Amino acid sequence: MAPRTGSTSTGSAMSETSVESSIDPLFHLLRTIPFSFLRPPRLRLKLPSFTLPSPMAVFSLILLTYFLVISGFIYDVIVEPPGIGSTQDPVTGAIRPVVFMSGRVNGQYIIEGLSSGFMFVMGGVGIIMLDLALDKNRAKSVKASYATAGVSSIVIGYVMSMLFIRIKIPGYLH
Amino acid sequence: MGGKQDQTANGSSKSESMGAKKASPDLLNSSFSFKSLKLKTKQQELLLRVSILGLVYVLAFIARLFSVLRYESMIHEFDPYFNYRTTLFLTEKGFYEFWNWFDSESWYPLGRIIGGTLYPGLMVTAALIYWTLRFLRFFVHIREVCVLTAPFFASNTTIVAYFFGKEIWDTGAGLVAAALIAICPGYISRSVAGSYDNEAVAIFALLLTFYLFVKAVKTGSLSWALGSAFGYFYMVSAWGGYVFIINLVPLYVLVLLITGRYSMRLYVAYNCMYILGMLLAMQIRFVGFQHVQSGEHMGAMGVFLLMQVFYFLDWVKYQLNDTKLFQTFLRITVTSAILVGGIALGVGTASGYISPWTGRFYSLLDPTYAKDHIPIIASVSEHQPTAWSSFMFDYHILLFLFPAGLYFCFKRLSDATIFIVMYGLTSLYFAGVMVRLILVATPAVCLISAIAVSATVKNLTSLLRTKQKVPQTGSTKGVGSSKSSSKVTLDQSQPFQKNGAIALLVGVFYLLSRYAIHCTWVTSEAYSSPSIVLAARGAHGNRIIFDDYREAYYWLRQNTPTDAKVMSWWDYGYQITAMGNRTVIVDNNTWNNTHIATVGRAMSSYEDEAYDIMRSLDVNYVLVVFGGVTGYSSDDINKFLWMVRIGGGVYPVIKEPDYLVNGEFRVDKGASPKMLNCLMYKLCYYRFGELVTEYGKPTGYDRARGVEIGNKDIKLEHLEEAYTTSNWIVRIYRVKPPTNRL
Repeated sequence: MAPRTGSTSTGSAMSETSVESSIDPLFHLLRTIPFSFLRPPRLRLKLPSFTLPSPMAVFSLILLTYFLVISGFIYDVIVEPPGIGSTQDPVTGAIRPVVFMSGRVNGQYIIEGLSSGFMFVMGGVGIIMLDLALDKNRAKSVKASYATAGVSSIVIGYVMSMLFIRIKIPGYLH
Repeated sequence: MGGKQDQTANGSSKSESMGAKKASPDLLNSSFSFKSLKLKTKQQELLLRVSILGLVYVLAFIARLFSVLRYESMIHEFDPYFNYRTTLFLTEKGFYEFWNWFDSESWYPLGRIIGGTLYPGLMVTAALIYWTLRFLRFFVHIREVCVLTAPFFASNTTIVAYFFGKEIWDTGAGLVAAALIAICPGYISRSVAGSYDNEAVAIFALLLTFYLFVKAVKTGSLSWALGSAFGYFYMVSAWGGYVFIINLVPLYVLVLLITGRYSMRLYVAYNCMYILGMLLAMQIRFVGFQHVQSGEHMGAMGVFLLMQVFYFLDWVKYQLNDTKLFQTFLRITVTSAILVGGIALGVGTASGYISPWTGRFYSLLDPTYAKDHIPIIASVSEHQPTAWSSFMFDYHILLFLFPAGLYFCFKRLSDATIFIVMYGLTSLYFAGVMVRLILVATPAVCLISAIAVSATVKNLTSLLRTKQKVPQTGSTKGVGSSKSSSKVTLDQSQPFQKNGAIALLVGVFYLLSRYAIHCTWVTSEAYSSPSIVLAARGAHGNRIIFDDYREAYYWLRQNTPTDAKVMSWWDYGYQITAMGNRTVIVDNNTWNNTHIATVGRAMSSYEDEAYDIMRSLDVNYVLVVFGGVTGYSSDDINKFLWMVRIGGGVYPVIKEPDYLVNGEFRVDKGASPKMLNCLMYKLCYYRFGELVTEYGKPTGYDRARGVEIGNKDIKLEHLEEAYTTSNWIVRIYRVKPPTNRL
């Protein structure tokens, strides 16, 4: 059992001990020096108590950070590529948008990073839903819908990721 | 029962054999022995596990041998050449000479204290393997040992990953983790055969330290904690990335304390590892007293003191037996501890005893720092932040399995799973900041993905097994949970569930097989190139090899005086010293920024100023790399702007806008006049204006930049051309002595 380090505070006069029997030197010190001539106002505040969040809440936060990291968010912040690239059509002269930065493995535009990251997270969430579908304590229809949603997420996520990487790296798997 | 049936069968066959012994004793004896070979389930499982691990071990080794089979057994890249040279020195001269070595052949005229500025783990490991093999009378060359050190340690890493997976989840997860890490491209990229670099050994040491520490926390045993301290010592001796361990482990301890998992086991494990590990780490001269002096190591010390406070409070609580008194005491102690710690840290930092975070590690916390302040760190291509495609390239399926594995870990939280989650998240964040650190994240990603695979496959196979209870009560195999109530509900959907589970299992195996195909393709195409030998596809699809680098270095070795000094950009320093055996001005160690800036200034000045700088440095030869004839894009002209930036960082005379036209870097007719007349331009394009490089293009067409060069008529006054390799990739010039005054 861990002693709660977060609940201490210097100068808090809200101790349960009565004044005479307290052996707390800090309490007595504070009682004499500032608080003999200052009168603390009557407040109805309570110290915020620190409760740990549930594991699944932490997990959803972590999933969000994972999505950001995998999408190359740090690359976007440092290198500052455009949201979407553009080339000029040599024949007509019109400006066409280019979604995938070609030519290097370690380069991206912002939108392509975010969409690929979304596909990866969707695949991961599909596997999680598959596990939820096998939980024994649910109704059958809920389990079936979880299972189908999970399988379809995995399939779509994998197929789209493969498509993206094939567009990005010509000559992939040749 | 199976056993009884065997005995009756044996008995019957024995009686038969008694009657017909002389007829065919061999046949009956062989059938007798087959029946006695039938193993129990536990032995079958052990056989399966051992054979899987053996196959994974061999697989990890042979997957890394592509470049040895395609080219030859040689050292790759730049840094490994330095490691090879020092290992050669160690095996020839012995450990004491190696430990006290001052090298005057690099960083002329400063020299380099090699014994005190390297991490000896890799060299000592290779030398030990070499001496062991010689003791067994296998007389191999040290180069072969160096080339194959990395695959050998990769195989060992898979074994450690198996044990680690077993610790975190179960044996199934351990086996999957070993298989995944054996072929994961993120790890292969830095541990192919020939990549004789610190990371080859360091990842093994990292995983070993983490495994031993988690085992120590789980069991609370002093011997496991001692093992983890020695593992940490091995890691410190091998790689500068040990700072990751000394910050992750205290962070992990802190998280355990916050979530209320303080226990005596944690106390024993962390204290033993920290104190012993710190004392052992100070034996490495390069690390020195950093564990008590550097800001990067202060987190570990802070957590160490916090653990003592926790233990003390626990003991006082036990002694006092009075909650009110204890609350008071708690408040006083924590306040004073925080005050004392804060004051000590403040005094230490202000007086300069505790140095702040160095640039390399500070740029991990604040990624924009290097771009603005330290151009040398920002220029290395491996230090760029990571885009999504690099992640996909190096991880493939594991990117899907990682969040699922995190979910399973959060479902079953324990000391070990909390550790692997923290390791995975912190290392993945750092991998996002710097491409090179994908290597450090790879073991964590493989382990967590293995948990996802193992848990999913277990779920699916348990679906397959429960249905067998109802229709066939006679032949029950294996374990399977028997819930009699669920028998009725499962009745209607059993065939559907069984088919669904089989289909999903086939899907899982399909995905894993795609992963294997991807990994093999990536290893073969992207990560097996020696970098010192270039290959390209010819017009008819045949492969053309460019061995210009080695050609130039051997020319240097054989045709220049032994005390000649060579000036080149710092990328090639290690290779020139190792293969050309000549003194260089700057090399890849990049420890002296001013010296490198001097070379950068010489390369970007006009020939006269550059000649003065070269005379002051006693330079005899200048080496440049030029890719205009072959289309090789990693040449010195493409690196030129970094030379300008680094030189301009120290000498304000060099201004980057002088070399650009409208912010653009050009070498054709529209280039700035300073660019067209600087030393680098002249040395690269000397006599290039007469060459026809591509059919249909004018003379002097630069194939790497795709333009015709601006200044074709180049005259050199103080240098003369000494050697140009067959494909014009490496060009060497001799610095002429000053003309006589008469």
